[in-house]
Amino acid sequence: MTGTETNPATPQPKKDTRNTGPGRLLIAVYAVFALSATARAGYQIATKFAEAPLAHILSALAAVVYIVATISLAKPGRTWFKVSVAAVLTELIGVLVVGAISLFDPVAFPHDTVWSLFGRGYGFVPLILPILGLLWLNKRRPS
Amino acid sequence: MDGYFYALLIVGLVSTIMCVVAGLMKKAPNDPTIYSVLAVELVLVVYLVGSIIRVAMGEQIAGEAWEFWGYLITALMIPLGAVYWAILERTRWSNFVLAAVGVTVLVMGARMNQIWY
Repeated sequence: MTGTETNPATPQPKKDTRNTGPGRLLIAVYAVFALSATARAGYQIATKFAEAPLAHILSALAAVVYIVATISLAKPGRTWFKVSVAAVLTELIGVLVVGAISLFDPVAFPHDTVWSLFGRGYGFVPLILPILGLLWLNKRRPS
Repeated sequence: MDGYFYALLIVGLVSTIMCVVAGLMKKAPNDPTIYSVLAVELVLVVYLVGSIIRVAMGEQIAGEAWEFWGYLITALMIPLGAVYWAILERTRWSNFVLAAVGVTVLVMGARMNQIWY
């Protein structure tokens, strides 16, 4: 195949999917976080929303971000790639901003969220995950 | 922490270590790694049956009962989901997916113990 021009109309499935190899591990971890963040946010909002509305809205937002990231990483195609980038970037900004605020102004976050203290309650995985996610997305950028 | 937790601790850690080592050795999921994850599932099934018996015998769950059962039922689905996901693509990376099962279930087991007592 060396030296021959590949037909540009031929789709290159390898380039346009992110659900193989290391991507599978990434999706699996995102799925676990989607599940636990959704359960946690649902529980908080159902039982004690009034105590800390901001923290609980953030929990729900985090849950949505993890769900979107899980689904978009598993789907092929350029549009889903863009959705993945947006979701993972939102996650990175979320964990950095919420982590910093919870560190310097703990009063604003009387209740923990997934992202509080840069995800310390979850072994800092919420901080590492978006970085690995962006590296993986960069590697599988659609041409 | 009760016996169920320690069973999950040991079986979960052994499974995670086995799967990580197999992944590092660039092996695809094979019988030992898949069976190690199914062993985690077996412990969870015993946990489920044991918990149903304990509640039926009149024991009280200290925390929220629905939270405990929610964790347990979710935990029961994780090993099966991971094995299915790993069999679909048998590469070394799927062993790392399987490795995540042991630690995840272990953390959930710790939380289940907190709720129960």
